Amino acid sequence: MKKIHIIAIVIIIAAIAILLSATKDMGTYATFSEAESSGKIVKLVGELSKDKVIEYNPQVDPNYCSFHIKDADGQEKKVILLMEKPHDFERSEKVVLTGKMKGEEFVATSVLLKCPSKYQDEELFIRAES
Amino acid sequence: MDQIQYIGERIWPGNLGHFLIVLSFVASLFAAATFIMAQKRRDGEEFNSWKRMGNIGFAIHGVSILSAIGLLFFIMINQYYEYQYVNGHVSDDLQMRYIFSAFWEGQEGSFMLWMFWHVILGGVILWRADQWQAPVLAVISIIQLFLLSMILGVHIPFGEETIKIGSSPFLLLREVFDLPLFSKANYVELLQGQGLNIALQNYWMTIHPPTLFLGFAATSVPFAYAIAGLWSGTHKESMKAILPWALFTGGILGTGILMGAAWAYEALSFGGYWAWDPVENTSLVPWLILIAALHSNLIAKATGYSIKSTYLFYILTFIFVLYSTYLTRSGILGDSSAHAFTEMGLEAQLIFFIAFFLIGGLWLYFKNSKSIVVPEKEEATFSKEFWMFIGSLILIFSAVLITFTTSIPVYNVIGEIFGLEMNLSSPDDVVAHHNKYQIWIGVLIGILSGFAQFLRWKEFDFARRFSSLGKQIALTLAITIVCTVLTIRLLDYPSAPNILLVFAGYYAIFSNLDYIIFMIRGKMKIAGSAFSHIGFGLFVLGVIASGVNKSYLSSNPYAQRGLFEEFDYEKNVTLIKGLPMYMNDYKVTYLRDTFDGFHRYYHINFKELGDSSGTVQDEFDSYPSIIYDKNFKFASVNPSTKRYAQKDIFNHLAGAPEAELDPERAREIEDSLSYVFQEMAINRPITLTDTVKVDDARFPRFHQIQLLNVRRTGEHPEYLSQEGDLVFSADLEIQKYEADSTIRKQAMIVLRENLLFNFPAQINTMGWKAKLTEEFINRYFEIESNLSYRPFTLKEGQTARFSDYTIELAGFDRQPENPGYSALPNDIAIAAVLNIKDSEDNLICQLRPIYLVRNSQVYIIKDESFQHGFSAKFANVDPQAETFTVSLAEYDLEQLSFPVAIAQDSPRNDWIVLESIVFPGINLVWVGSILMMFGLFFSIWNRISRH
Repeated sequence: MKKIHIIAIVIIIAAIAILLSATKDMGTYATFSEAESSGKIVKLVGELSKDKVIEYNPQVDPNYCSFHIKDADGQEKKVILLMEKPHDFERSEKVVLTGKMKGEEFVATSVLLKCPSKYQDEELFIRAES
Repeated sequence: MDQIQYIGERIWPGNLGHFLIVLSFVASLFAAATFIMAQKRRDGEEFNSWKRMGNIGFAIHGVSILSAIGLLFFIMINQYYEYQYVNGHVSDDLQMRYIFSAFWEGQEGSFMLWMFWHVILGGVILWRADQWQAPVLAVISIIQLFLLSMILGVHIPFGEETIKIGSSPFLLLREVFDLPLFSKANYVELLQGQGLNIALQNYWMTIHPPTLFLGFAATSVPFAYAIAGLWSGTHKESMKAILPWALFTGGILGTGILMGAAWAYEALSFGGYWAWDPVENTSLVPWLILIAALHSNLIAKATGYSIKSTYLFYILTFIFVLYSTYLTRSGILGDSSAHAFTEMGLEAQLIFFIAFFLIGGLWLYFKNSKSIVVPEKEEATFSKEFWMFIGSLILIFSAVLITFTTSIPVYNVIGEIFGLEMNLSSPDDVVAHHNKYQIWIGVLIGILSGFAQFLRWKEFDFARRFSSLGKQIALTLAITIVCTVLTIRLLDYPSAPNILLVFAGYYAIFSNLDYIIFMIRGKMKIAGSAFSHIGFGLFVLGVIASGVNKSYLSSNPYAQRGLFEEFDYEKNVTLIKGLPMYMNDYKVTYLRDTFDGFHRYYHINFKELGDSSGTVQDEFDSYPSIIYDKNFKFASVNPSTKRYAQKDIFNHLAGAPEAELDPERAREIEDSLSYVFQEMAINRPITLTDTVKVDDARFPRFHQIQLLNVRRTGEHPEYLSQEGDLVFSADLEIQKYEADSTIRKQAMIVLRENLLFNFPAQINTMGWKAKLTEEFINRYFEIESNLSYRPFTLKEGQTARFSDYTIELAGFDRQPENPGYSALPNDIAIAAVLNIKDSEDNLICQLRPIYLVRNSQVYIIKDESFQHGFSAKFANVDPQAETFTVSLAEYDLEQLSFPVAIAQDSPRNDWIVLESIVFPGINLVWVGSILMMFGLFFSIWNRISRH
């Protein structure tokens, strides 16, 4: 066998090993109860409870925002987000949070919003009366 | 059903556009078929006539595509809003310099841009007319055929359903949307355009897409040559012919990616030049494979090894460009990427596109690669070809790793097809995930790109070679180690991979410098590869410096709660207007905010303080901004970066008062305030009470507010005066409980053509807001109508008694200014200058009422001072007697009051949340990557000039 083939095989084996290790970084979206039982940092999808107060008071702490999220199982918990309140948060359809449970609260360090797509309204097309 | 005869609808561009696209489609089909025939008969007599037909087909294809592009530009420039593409991307207020950006903002336009470059590149190949022309243009014509199908807009009935092929840019709005509006015959004149997304209105959007698409289009050329090479079996020649194209493609695609990174860094808010975003990744992957192919190609050309892998890598480069297109345009990325185009229903077409070229390319590869002659002898262990090929494999490996993670949404979709709900999520920290693996790629590439330069092709006696080079290699290593050791001390996190990457970076730089100086002895013409490798070394050092030593300036550990120690979250600080904030040796003050069109700039002053003495070492101003859409709703933020040679300070707004981001929310907040009308007499303070909570008890606090003056002028940063405006303003003075000083504010209301514009006074330190309403204006006129004027006829300089005062006609002002008067060219306007003095002859106030003759009509414009309680009119002029009649009235300040609405629960609006990041050594990233691209272009120039 040629050296180059040996090296190619070594690289392929290394590739498979590394790809397998890379899959460890991937997760599935967790729920509150899963986050609680694992105790690890997870990604969680949920909906913002719009009837509960979003507390963000930048004059006290610009890195502290709290609100309530209902997860895929319908369980609702308080979430503390350690950053600014995202723009258009109230209009979000779905929220993806990265964080972990701490006591009864979910402490998140990052957030991704899924917002409804642009609403095609007739008004949009009509020239305003000038 | 009756067809509506629409008025003003211009049908011809749509018909012409559809015709051009179909013509172009048919012509590319014809060109592909005839070029294939030409290639099949390449040794026969018919070759030339087939090729000529192919040329004609390609020319017609090119001309019709260029015409379609021209036509789309025409209807965009002339604002034919009845067309969906025009409506979606152009608006009346769009500046012409953004017309290109608007053109390629949408899917259809960007497909056309891509095809445009294929036509240009195809034109170059046609013009050069060498042996590769027919097969290469055959492949490019087939690619064009697929791209055209994306904008074909043909509907084919298929049983019950219709299959839609592509989406045409020449569709009418009413063919896309079903709205009641289209029942009106004159709907065209009612239309307005949606315009170009305000965040895309910058020069990056003008230069980044065409460069990137030229890069994408250029990958088709090495691909087409690879197919042509496999097809014709002339592998040696093809390896030579591809190389300059591959260098060109590498340089352009790399520049395009780099521009994207620079744009992200300059204008977007994620704080960095690379976020491992799926779209960034899928444009990087083809580039990495291309660079692997390029090195493999060099081996093939010099030694005859690696021809197969060269073909395979060029094919994969193009396939991954298509995969990138699929990911960004099929909608599969959803909301997980900033770049994703909205869905256009092209998913199936794109999959077919990839499948065709992947299966076709690999089939040809496996069928014809047997004809490739491989040198019998194995590569020597210390030959250039051996280690260069290892380097190529590492680049491929990098591409595989990146693609593996980026394709997670694809796994979910494939899972769904088989009924599996995988619900896979991308890594929690995508950046850390990719960095963790790619750092080793960087280490290996850095070392190889230095080491391999010293090896020779087909090395047969490395021991001898080593003995002559040994000293030199040792010297380079010594310098590298010294620099690495010195640099490690500066690193915040000197982990093993970080140290090794620093070593690899320095090694790439020094060994390639060594190569230029001692190996090629300054023969710059062949130094292209050394430039690129030095560039890579600098780039790697820049990545380490700006990535590992990146730090947040915007944290103030004393001012922030320390509840969550295990999380690193102290990224933002809140700044209050006018109040300095101390953060990490900087004194930072938010001074003011100003408007410029749809931008709101926040003026922030940074002072770098010396250790303890507090002396200012450095000072600069930063202007991060937010951008509004046309409804003055928040659209995006623009960071502001202070650049130094050795570092950047990147500032970006993480938050601002909600009322400043969304007019709807501002209205909601305004409506929620509890305003109470206060009757305010001039110069008579009233007391308002707040309660303050200390522990659980509430204590009252008594504040005073008084009305100083009511005027008919006013100023406000957001108020631009217009002729005919009626302006009313109230000067207020507020004395906060137990405060040493008072605060003065002006509340204003403007009546403009039956509309009221309110400019309330926000008193932030107390959370108060005072506004004037219609009642204020009514009261003003009510007071005015109850005044009784007393006439006086005076000569200039004369005085008269008016209750306890003396009035004096002190003189005249022939260029009078008065809030109620704006001058016109033929006006005759004189103001009487009236001095009002008290019994002790002290001047109390001066009034200047105006007597105006305009178009032989007389107008009387009064002047007043609520502060002092007088109003005056200039009633008549008697030129013969040289006397002047003025009328005076006195306000009863005891009785008179104005209603002012005051809310004591208004949230303060003078703060912002700032994120401020220091990127040390970031310029190395830019210099290094530019040098990398320069090396590629330099090599083409060298190769072309050699022939």
